[in-house]
Amino acid sequence: MAELRKDPIVGRWVIANTDEPASPEDFHVERHIWKGEQNCPFCYGHEQMTPPEIEAISEGDRKPNTPGWKVRVVANKFPALKIEGDLDKQPVGMYDMSNGIGAHELIVDSPYHYKGISDLENKEIECILKAYTSRSLDLRRDRRFKYILIFKNVGAMAGASLEHGHSQLIALPMIPKNVKEELKGASRYYEFHERCIFCDIIAYEEENGKERVVCENEEFLSFCPLSSRFPFEVWIIPKKHRDDFGKLNEQGIKYLAPIIKETIHRLRVTLDDPPYNYIIHTAPVNTDYHIGYHWHIEIMPKLMRVAGFEWGSGFYVVPTPPEVAARYLREADLSKELNNQK
Amino acid sequence: MPQLRKDPIIGRWVIISTERAKRPKDFKRSESMPAEKKCPFCAGNEQMTPSEIFAIRDSGNPNDPNWRVRVIPSIKPFLKSNEQLWKKGRGPYDIINAVGSHEVVVETPQHIANMADLEESNIKDVIYSYCVRTKELEKNENVKYVLIFKNYGWLAGGGRVKHSRSQIIATPVNLKRVKEELEGAKSYYDYHERCVFCDMIRQEIKDKERLVYNEDGIVAIVPFAPRFPFEVWVLPKEHKPDFCNIDDTLTTSLAKAMKKILSALKKILNDPPYNYVIHTAPFRRPYPGYWSTIDEDYHWHIEITPRLTQVAGFEWGAGFYICPTLPEEAAKYLREGLSG
Repeated sequence: MAELRKDPIVGRWVIANTDEPASPEDFHVERHIWKGEQNCPFCYGHEQMTPPEIEAISEGDRKPNTPGWKVRVVANKFPALKIEGDLDKQPVGMYDMSNGIGAHELIVDSPYHYKGISDLENKEIECILKAYTSRSLDLRRDRRFKYILIFKNVGAMAGASLEHGHSQLIALPMIPKNVKEELKGASRYYEFHERCIFCDIIAYEEENGKERVVCENEEFLSFCPLSSRFPFEVWIIPKKHRDDFGKLNEQGIKYLAPIIKETIHRLRVTLDDPPYNYIIHTAPVNTDYHIGYHWHIEIMPKLMRVAGFEWGSGFYVVPTPPEVAARYLREADLSKELNNQK
Repeated sequence: MPQLRKDPIIGRWVIISTERAKRPKDFKRSESMPAEKKCPFCAGNEQMTPSEIFAIRDSGNPNDPNWRVRVIPSIKPFLKSNEQLWKKGRGPYDIINAVGSHEVVVETPQHIANMADLEESNIKDVIYSYCVRTKELEKNENVKYVLIFKNYGWLAGGGRVKHSRSQIIATPVNLKRVKEELEGAKSYYDYHERCVFCDMIRQEIKDKERLVYNEDGIVAIVPFAPRFPFEVWVLPKEHKPDFCNIDDTLTTSLAKAMKKILSALKKILNDPPYNYVIHTAPFRRPYPGYWSTIDEDYHWHIEITPRLTQVAGFEWGAGFYICPTLPEEAAKYLREGLSG
């Protein structure tokens, strides 16, 4: 019999198919056909194809908007939100609206067109994370912004329009709905238990045979949550209670880089290089203190066509239970070759 | 300038992207779908499916070919009804066994893919079947909610067989999206002492910009803050909490409206994949958190969402959507599609 599992943070039910778990081979992943570097705005020498850079990480002398960078941050050429102007919040009859004020930046992960994040060296991933935190700290100085959302789309099916590895950052003038729910759920739990729900989840995973753990180090845990919405969903979470990703220090970055690398590598090997998204969930900025919140990264491989049922109900059917997914991920053969070249 | 708009029921913000505004023909899709199998849903192939639960037929016996609409159990059910319900805690988590049911409504004996191409009378039979099954499932005390939905086209989660059908799922828990709507509607009612959906209908009829259809007691609108381009909501103009109590006259009106709206979508968006979901009030059973104003504060409706864009991590993770078509523009295209 399948199980219904309730997410203890936001109260969402999911169906875990514990009867006949789907194996990685049951998901059909279309092979990516590379378009190549020719018209790629993110490759060395093509810096003029993007808006001017906002920030870059590089060594030695380098003029802005020239090659030689390690990570490069540029404004999105087609931004979902615009940084200039006033919010101008207003009612439209019974409705509420405002101008679409915000920042929309692209972080080019590396100069290498064909390298996914797990193909990079730890040092290179550290540079990406430094760019994330530095942008987060800079943008929050603008008091209009309440939330800094950092995420990554890999593969066309996961919404990426460019194949050269990049991440995105959107600074929003309000807190997105799912984050708000998480904050509310976490604070309700804290009020009753006087403990952080995320800390309790970490403790539960560590004390119960680690069957859902993918990998870990001193500072971070990578695991498949018991109430995952998607098959092979993985969370990376700091073991110590921390609410603000932007304040991750150099030491933390040193531990986070290798666990991201290993987790993504295991997902790519196990699922034959699937399209995926990751999202950094962190506390809002420029608002009240948020008690009981704990930042984390949610990684979601795009393996299924999400259908009417999930959209309409917020109720998810998970064909591979997380404990089974975690086992596949732990047992992945890391020497297997990936589709990095044309 | 892009806009931020807030859904008045559940408080979800969406970005309406005006810079890259998309018209119907800007949505391109590549639908690589596996080859179609032999259809088990056509008349004459009844033996290929499990025995029927319900059917509308003029004469003859169950599982005979001469039916108009046929309801059968799903071959791959998410939830099964043949076990005792249990609930337990596991660390900080709550677990229930997946008790419930999962049924498939075969909407026509002919091999027609899109509901838009069915006769109005046929759609009326489908709506009637939804109501009969919902009322029957309500008798099972483990069932908290009955969700009726449709996945049309491969990208919308439809199956390999292109035969028009919908699904009915009975769950032992309240569904998150529905619960949010119920809570949002209640909190609006608590303050205003009016139904938020009724207010919405009144404003849309007055504003006209987002109104798509308004005939015989059925209204269709593009919501002010939609998640998806060309999203359409279909509602009864008068306040009604429960879908399954729809009377015969309104069923006729709804069948006509659905036929017209789905045909307009098909026409202007070149036969897009789509989903629809019926949101209705849950069964009135006393349980923790139950409230008594539900008859006044909730209003059933059908949400139709064409699948035109890839939903990315941003939308999933943040519950924050970027809609590339201005709702007022979408409504205009839909009105044109309806009239011509």
